[in-house]
Amino acid sequence: MGERIVIQPVSRIEGHAKITIQLDDAGNVQDTWVNVIELRGFEKFCIGRPVEELPRIVTSICGVCPWSHHLASAKANDAVFGVQIPPAAKKLRELCNSIAYCEEHILHFYFLAGADFVMGPDADYSVRNVIGIAQKFPDIGKRVVRCRWLGAQMLEIVSGKSIHPVTAVPGGFSKPLTKEEVEQLKPMAQEVLDFAKFSIDYAKKNIFPQYLDTVKTLGVITTGFLGTVREDGTWDVYDGKLRMMNPDGSYVDFKYEEYTDYIAEHVEPWTYLKFPYMKKAEKIVMDIDNPVGVYRTNTLARINVCDKMPTPLAQAELEEFRKNFGRPAQLTLLYHWARLIELLANAEYVVQLLNDPEITSTDIRVPVKPRAARGVGCVEAPRGTLIHDYETDENGIVTNVNLIVGTTHNNAAINMSVKKAAKELIKGGKYDEGILNRLEMAIRAYDPCLSCATHKLDGSIPVKVTIIGPNSEIVGTLQNF
Amino acid sequence: MKPKRIIILGCGNILFGDDGFGPEVVQYLKENFEIPEDVDVIDAGTGVRNILFDLVLNPFKPDKVIIIDAVDIGRTPGEVFEIDISSIPSVKIDDFSMHQVPTSNLLKELKEICGVDVKVICVQVQYIPEEVKPGLSEVVKKAIPIACQRIMEELKIL
Repeated sequence: MGERIVIQPVSRIEGHAKITIQLDDAGNVQDTWVNVIELRGFEKFCIGRPVEELPRIVTSICGVCPWSHHLASAKANDAVFGVQIPPAAKKLRELCNSIAYCEEHILHFYFLAGADFVMGPDADYSVRNVIGIAQKFPDIGKRVVRCRWLGAQMLEIVSGKSIHPVTAVPGGFSKPLTKEEVEQLKPMAQEVLDFAKFSIDYAKKNIFPQYLDTVKTLGVITTGFLGTVREDGTWDVYDGKLRMMNPDGSYVDFKYEEYTDYIAEHVEPWTYLKFPYMKKAEKIVMDIDNPVGVYRTNTLARINVCDKMPTPLAQAELEEFRKNFGRPAQLTLLYHWARLIELLANAEYVVQLLNDPEITSTDIRVPVKPRAARGVGCVEAPRGTLIHDYETDENGIVTNVNLIVGTTHNNAAINMSVKKAAKELIKGGKYDEGILNRLEMAIRAYDPCLSCATHKLDGSIPVKVTIIGPNSEIVGTLQNF
Repeated sequence: MKPKRIIILGCGNILFGDDGFGPEVVQYLKENFEIPEDVDVIDAGTGVRNILFDLVLNPFKPDKVIIIDAVDIGRTPGEVFEIDISSIPSVKIDDFSMHQVPTSNLLKELKEICGVDVKVICVQVQYIPEEVKPGLSEVVKKAIPIACQRIMEELKIL
């Protein structure tokens, strides 16, 4: 029987995702561990600060999804101050959120996920060349750039900045939208919507059918799902209630501030990142054949938990998706399909908001007064449910902070998916370089935030796989750096 | 969609000690120097990959991209130096997400395939904390005006 190895958590500076694979006597995979890096000390750093500073501070957590943190923090502020923001302020925040989503989902699908499909899972795993992909599909490459540029321009028009957002404030939004700006934005939004429509049609015709076999097998696990829905069960990425769905499709809804009644966090000695699980299960078991308490977030989760989409084209796509894959759909790689449905919904929603006369209202902010309170702000970041939980004293100074980011919810599932993939790929002690590719694909579907905290030029986050034999000897390492 | 002729990107996370060097340099530059019209000075924070992605794919390219960054490669803390992009080995894709796509790969593509002049100006850090702890060390703080001088010299070279 192979020995149990205690693995020290990966230090932040080391900067890589570490997969450790334990083999048994027969050379088959007995266990795996995926270490991801956590943003340590952030909560402690916030204590003692005026809570209204947090919406600006939290944008430094992640340069890829700053709007998500910015908005979740603004909502936590609203809750702490005990205010309802004016309807127009909500619409302006939603507008920024949906524009940011479009930018992000477009890039992710075409240049991260897309490269898997374009190259294929067995492709010679050399350095991925962004230009290469763009050269293979030049027209698409041009439209991706164009739509992302449009998204950045739109965010600048609405909020004054596209990087480092500042306009969501406690009590509302700091900058109203003028009629002239709306007229400027409308054709831009239409162009992004046209591309969103094109994207899902193109993917269904040219991409998904080809790799459906891989979809059906790679890293497939059975879990519950967590996402946000409106009161009536409609998909929403800005506001609503949380819905925790079981693998059998039954679910429970709860308000943001009740999340600790439904989500518990488990700690393992080999990683700083916690493992959230369904509290009612009373435990978490990351057994790929009999998981207990495990749930996932991100695009597929949101598509699963919602009853319907808020916009017509996305609704039609949801119906087709459900006909093909049921509810809830479990296949991990369907995250990518779900991502395109969400892209469409967000693009449609931007057009809808711009045609809403209330979007130019100047009633966009209410005053706030400090008080001792707790407030929970939650949005759906592209990667999953983002929870900002703040407590303040009577002067509005932060006394406690708890953040659960999208990727944390998926920690258990990522570990399970990798274990499943590793078990399929390593048998009798035999493996080759190609497994690295497939293990990465299993992780890539979750698009995890492995390191929001650093961007280091020479520390681009590599993966190191350590394979350990039954007598604790290292039998092999694979790494891509 | 046309970028300015020269783009300066200050990269780093201000929450982690000396890692915040790049954004601080950008701030100092804007406050203390006359920036020409055709130069874009951007605090890219931790979002530099997004910016580089768009630059690589954009049919319109800048003439020059200057990256300001903090690195830990064993030199004297506070030392300001240039890294030759071509000497950084191509890192295979560890691209689980936009959070990981190697910045160095994108910069190499910009230089080698797109013909953009890429300069990487770095400071050797003294210390990057493992937990959130903003604030530059003294030696790295002193390097800010030195880095700015290097940048201004780059702007004069056409």
